[in-house]
Amino acid sequence: MVSKTEESQLNRLENQVDNGGGGAWEYLCLARKLKVRRPEKALKYGLSILNDSKKRYALGPEQWTLYEQVAIAAMDCQCLDVAKDCIKVLQKKFPESKRVGRLEGMLLEATGSRAEAEKAYSSLLEDNPLDQVIHKRRVAMAKAQGNISAAIEWLNKYLEIFMADHDAWRELAEIYVSLQMYKQAAFCYEELILSQPTVPLYHLAYADVLYTLGELENLQIAKKYYASTIDLTGGKNTRALLGICLCTSAMRQLSKGRNKEDKESPELQSLAAKALEKDYEQIADDKLGLLTCALRSLKI
Amino acid sequence: MAAELKYEISQHAYIKLVLHALKHNTTAVNGILLGRVNPQNENVVEIIDSVPLFHSNIALLPPLEIALIMVEEHYGSQGLGIVGYFHANERFDDAELGIVAKNIGDHIFRYFPQAALLLLDNKKLEAVPKGKGQSPLMQLYIRDTSKNWKLAGPDGGSRLVIKEPAANVVLSDYISSEKWQGIVDFDDHLDDIKKDWLNPELFK
Repeated sequence: MVSKTEESQLNRLENQVDNGGGGAWEYLCLARKLKVRRPEKALKYGLSILNDSKKRYALGPEQWTLYEQVAIAAMDCQCLDVAKDCIKVLQKKFPESKRVGRLEGMLLEATGSRAEAEKAYSSLLEDNPLDQVIHKRRVAMAKAQGNISAAIEWLNKYLEIFMADHDAWRELAEIYVSLQMYKQAAFCYEELILSQPTVPLYHLAYADVLYTLGELENLQIAKKYYASTIDLTGGKNTRALLGICLCTSAMRQLSKGRNKEDKESPELQSLAAKALEKDYEQIADDKLGLLTCALRSLKI
Repeated sequence: MAAELKYEISQHAYIKLVLHALKHNTTAVNGILLGRVNPQNENVVEIIDSVPLFHSNIALLPPLEIALIMVEEHYGSQGLGIVGYFHANERFDDAELGIVAKNIGDHIFRYFPQAALLLLDNKKLEAVPKGKGQSPLMQLYIRDTSKNWKLAGPDGGSRLVIKEPAANVVLSDYISSEKWQGIVDFDDHLDDIKKDWLNPELFK
C-alpha cells in the first residue's frame, strides 16, 4: 500500500530519470521498497545499469538484487529472453538457491508451462513449507488461470498460517468483492481493521462493502465507518464524505413509513455536504454544479 | 424485442474506452456510454461519448452511484443520456460477460431499453497494431426477450459500428505514443478531485 507522498516521490524520480537527470538506482530501490508494479520502467532503468559494467560493479552485492528485480520486471513485460539471461546469471552465482528456484518457477509460469511451474513450486514448498512468496505465487497462478475458487481456497489456507499478512487479506477481500460475495469481503476488512485500526483505507473499504450489502443496519454501520475514515484522514477523503451523503439518503429511503429516523448525528450529512462543496469550489469548481445537483438529488 | 438495432459509436468515445483499458492493464475496467437514439432513425443508437469509470473494486456501489448521478447530470444538459456500459475483463483469456457487468447493464436497461453492453475483445486488441481492420475491438451484447444479455452475432441482428472508419488506425497511433498515460477516470477523480473525468485535453 502506497501513500500519496510516496507515490509522488516515486513519480518525481521517474520523471527525473526519464529526462536524463539520473537517479535510476534510487527509483529502483524505492519501487522495490514500496512493492509497486511498474515493470516497463523497472526493466528499462534496471537494464541501463546492468548493461553498464562500471555501474554494475559499483553496486557490489546489491547487483544480485537488481538482477532479480529486472528478471521479474522482464517477465511482466513478456521479455522472456532478458528474464532468462538474468536468471542464468543468478543461477551461476547462487547454485541450489531457493530464491533463484522461485524465479525459475515464475519463468515457467511466464512461458505458459503452468503444470511445470506447479510442480516446481510444490517441490520448493516441500523443502520450505513456510515460504510465503511461493504460497502466494500458487494463488496468483490459480487466479491467472481463472480458477478463482482454487485461488480463494489457497489464499484462505495461507491466511490460516500467515494471518498477519495484510496484503493477503486485502487481496482476498478484493477477490470476494469481484464475485459479489460482500459478506465474506466484510469479514476480511474486519480482520484488517482489528489488526490495523488506524489505517483509513480499511475503514473506507469496509463502509463501501456494507453500503453495497444494503439494509438499514449495514447502512448505519457504514455511516459510522465513513465517519471514522473522515476522522482518520482529517476530513480530506472525498469518498468518505460522499459516503456519508449516500448513506443518509439510502437510510431515509429505507426508513420511510417505518418511523425510524436516524436520530444520531443529524448534522453529519450537512457538514459532509458543506465540506464537499468547499473542496470542489476551491479545487474543481467546474464540477461544483454537478456536485450540488448530486447532493440535491440525494436530498441533503 | 425491437427491430435490429445499429449502434454507432464515435471514434472519440471508442478510443477513450480502449485507452482506459490499456492504462490499467492488470485490472478490470469499466465505463459508461453516453448518447441518444438517432432523431431521424429510431433503429440507430448513437454512442457519442464515453466516461471511463473505475479500475478497482468495480463491484462496489457507492462510487458507481455517485458517478452515475454526476455523469447523467452533466450529459443531460447536452441532451444525451446513458445508453450503455463498457467492460474489460482482468484476464486476457477471459471472454465472458461477467455477472457484475450484467448487473450494471440491467440497471441501465431499466432506464434505456436499447442499452448496449460492450465487452473488450482482448484478442482483437492484441492484433490491432498488425491488422488494418475497421471493426470495433468490442463485442456487443443486448438484452433479449428472456431478459438475458445475448451476444450480437455476425449472422445478422443488431450490430456495432464505429462512425469514423479510420478509428483503429488512430488508435494504433495512440498506442504507439502511449497516449493512455493521460487518461483520467472516475476513480482518479475521487482520489483527487482536481483530475477531470471528462478528459477535455486528451485529444487536443
